[in-house]
Amino acid sequence: MSNMEIRFGGSGGQGLILSGRLLFQAFVMDGKHAAQSQSYEPTSRGGFCNADLVVSEGEVDYPLVSAIDYLVLLDQIGVAPSAAMINPGALVLSDSRLVPAPPTGEFTLHQAPFTDEAIALGSHRAANVVALGTLVALSGICGRDTVTEAVRAGTPKAFVDLNLDALRRGFEIADELAPAEAGAKVVQL
Amino acid sequence: MNEMNSGGFEIRDYLRLDLMPHFMCPGCGHGIALRALLWAVHELGIEKDNLAIVSGIGCSGRVGAYIDANTYHVTHGRPLAFATGLKLARPDLEVIVITGDGDCLAIGGNHLIHACRRNLDITCLMLNNEVYGMTGGQVSPTTAETRLTTTTPSGNSEPAFDACKLAEATGAGLVGREVTMQTPALRNLIKKGLEYKGFSFLEVMSDCTEIYGRKNDLGESAEMVLAQKSDMRPEAYSTITEQPFRPNRLVTGILASNDRPEYGATYRDQAAALRGDDNGEA
Amino acid sequence: MTATLQNLHGNHACAMGAIAAGCRFFAGYPITPSSEIAERMSRELPLVGGTFVQMEDEIASIAAVLGASSGGIKSMTATSGPGFSLKQENIGLAAMAEIPCVIANVMRGGPSTGMPTRPSQGDIMQARWGSHGDRPVIALAPASVKEIYDQTIRAFNLSERYRMPVVLLFDQVVSHLLEPVELADRSSLQLVERQWAKGPSAEFEPFARTADGVPPMPRPGDGLRTHTTGLTHGEDGFPSQDPEVATRVTQRLLDKIEHGRADIEAYECHDTDDAEILVVACGISARAARAAVRQARAKGIAAGLFRPITLWPFPEEALKAALGKAKAILVPEMNAGQLVLEIERICGHDLAVEGLNRIDGQAIAPAEISQRIEELAGK
Repeated sequence: MSNMEIRFGGSGGQGLILSGRLLFQAFVMDGKHAAQSQSYEPTSRGGFCNADLVVSEGEVDYPLVSAIDYLVLLDQIGVAPSAAMINPGALVLSDSRLVPAPPTGEFTLHQAPFTDEAIALGSHRAANVVALGTLVALSGICGRDTVTEAVRAGTPKAFVDLNLDALRRGFEIADELAPAEAGAKVVQL
Repeated sequence: MNEMNSGGFEIRDYLRLDLMPHFMCPGCGHGIALRALLWAVHELGIEKDNLAIVSGIGCSGRVGAYIDANTYHVTHGRPLAFATGLKLARPDLEVIVITGDGDCLAIGGNHLIHACRRNLDITCLMLNNEVYGMTGGQVSPTTAETRLTTTTPSGNSEPAFDACKLAEATGAGLVGREVTMQTPALRNLIKKGLEYKGFSFLEVMSDCTEIYGRKNDLGESAEMVLAQKSDMRPEAYSTITEQPFRPNRLVTGILASNDRPEYGATYRDQAAALRGDDNGEA
Repeated sequence: MTATLQNLHGNHACAMGAIAAGCRFFAGYPITPSSEIAERMSRELPLVGGTFVQMEDEIASIAAVLGASSGGIKSMTATSGPGFSLKQENIGLAAMAEIPCVIANVMRGGPSTGMPTRPSQGDIMQARWGSHGDRPVIALAPASVKEIYDQTIRAFNLSERYRMPVVLLFDQVVSHLLEPVELADRSSLQLVERQWAKGPSAEFEPFARTADGVPPMPRPGDGLRTHTTGLTHGEDGFPSQDPEVATRVTQRLLDKIEHGRADIEAYECHDTDDAEILVVACGISARAARAAVRQARAKGIAAGLFRPITLWPFPEEALKAALGKAKAILVPEMNAGQLVLEIERICGHDLAVEGLNRIDGQAIAPAEISQRIEELAGK
């Protein structure tokens, strides 16, 4: 049974767990089996933090990632714990300002100013959702409508508008980055 | 203290007589404290079925078993924590904690300060005999300075706790102290504690004649309680901050009252409001 | 039976399972990685007429739970390794005084403060032997979020039925895992309610030797006015150091487990019928093992998995039955070798029993287990 492994990596407080949870919700809405786990440092803010998803057609055996197919990096601190786990052929998105030294290897890397775009929309805290939009649009791992619905349902009321704007901005970034690739799947389930 | 002025109080009605004779040493003040407690229970008309006695470990911890009620003898230092769960789960019960100076102030000290702060409707009787009697006479947090115990062979050099000051400072709703010799006064104090809706901390000056008294040549029981009564032990109950080496009177009666909302009622009101707002399923 | 699908974290599933089981009292103290159980209970309990209290320390939390349960309310606490250590004396009291309660222990790296946010299975033996003296122990080790929900309900049922503390052992990974959980319709749940003693009070023995070894419990306010103590006590509840009484009452406590084994033990077998390499694992390690066994089977290796869900008492006969064609046993666990000791005790005389251990705060990956399976199979 082939699994799809996805990680949002960065620094504690960047909303990585929320991104993971929103994408989890989108997969569940698509009828897929998913498990979302997290690893983090004892500090609530500033240490590394990973939100991981394993997606499967059947029940997920082992819920932790070991060969990452999709990686979103929002802070340099998230690079080291993940670099050795990136699957050949993976899709890696990294923040162009906060990840000055992204990982290198046999995979597709896109750098985009997720955090700066979020600041332009009103809050750096929405960088996680901008990146989520770009990931979904670029990879097609789930539909744009599905993830939009998941964000609408899974965001605290006060931030719904901001997060929907952030998600749309993420889609646009994907279209700007690689119009030809948009919708292509790196790993077929 | 004879039955003539006991207002119909017959202690046997409240005791598990088949457990007699009790384990307490001749001259121990704990039996008098037990009598005063049951007298107060009688005068307030508290039903034995609804009476829950929680005690810890030590001589004080064994007293509760003689009461014909729902009695719990739990781990060392934890009767207040156990009683907190019992009272929150069963607010209909009258919950009384019987503890000692070691149980309450040393191993259980953390629970005391938080029980005072929380102000749940529990009455706590701390029987202070200044020593770990059950284990053979070691120094306790209330042992007076210079006293001999089996672990202070050259005399105690640690200052003694003023438990009532601690209870007052940490917010106990009602704080009081009494000596066993004034049994009716002790009964009255316990009645006030039982009637108070909140946490009441009552320090009962007991005496350990057999171990502590003999070790320190304090005389027989009568002499020990008379000494308490007349406040003739100058080094006793001094505090760290107030002239620790000078005579300090043993003050009795209600020492502090800090009337504020009882925690259990506050929690239940808040929960009821939540259920009302959320259409809960209680 | 209708069921609702909810996406839950492991810790939240524990709280929801407890509520479904009828738990109406929780006392706890913050500790990573279990705190979300307390947080969820603080929100849920007032809504169902229950009580949540954050106590001043770990010891106070379990003591308050015993108080509430003595009052007749299904009660629980949750903690992690360091707090579990602090609770041990009162877990002993619960066993001795036969006070039902549930303790969830979310295992993290140790010893001492260790690695608070990293998973571990280092408390398997603490759950068994952590409190002094000979006492009965039930410990359950769920491996998924759904199973945390189910086993929490079961923990309450076993606790109420056998009048003893029941420990839930799961690790940081599962506690913070988000998975879809089917929440059973409450009316379809099989819930065990404590047997309450009824008068008359004169002849009543609160710790009587009953047919099933579990005496009905007196509830304060019901008129029986009994004594409960952590001291060794006779059937009447009062302290006794009579050697005969001590033997009789202590043995009865232990016998509750032996008599209930069939009911208490739970386990799962995957491909064990013809397995030559048998993997024995629990919790998150068992999920890695399940993936590894699948991979091994794909390569033509006869591997199987025995997964104890009840860790204590260990499902001994079920393991022996699963041994069938086994030539070697592999025990992957996130500690220096605890579960393996029990497996060696049960079948070490006839078979090679090997451990696969990690003590670095990392979960064991399927690839590590498949590699060892292949080595053991000689491939």
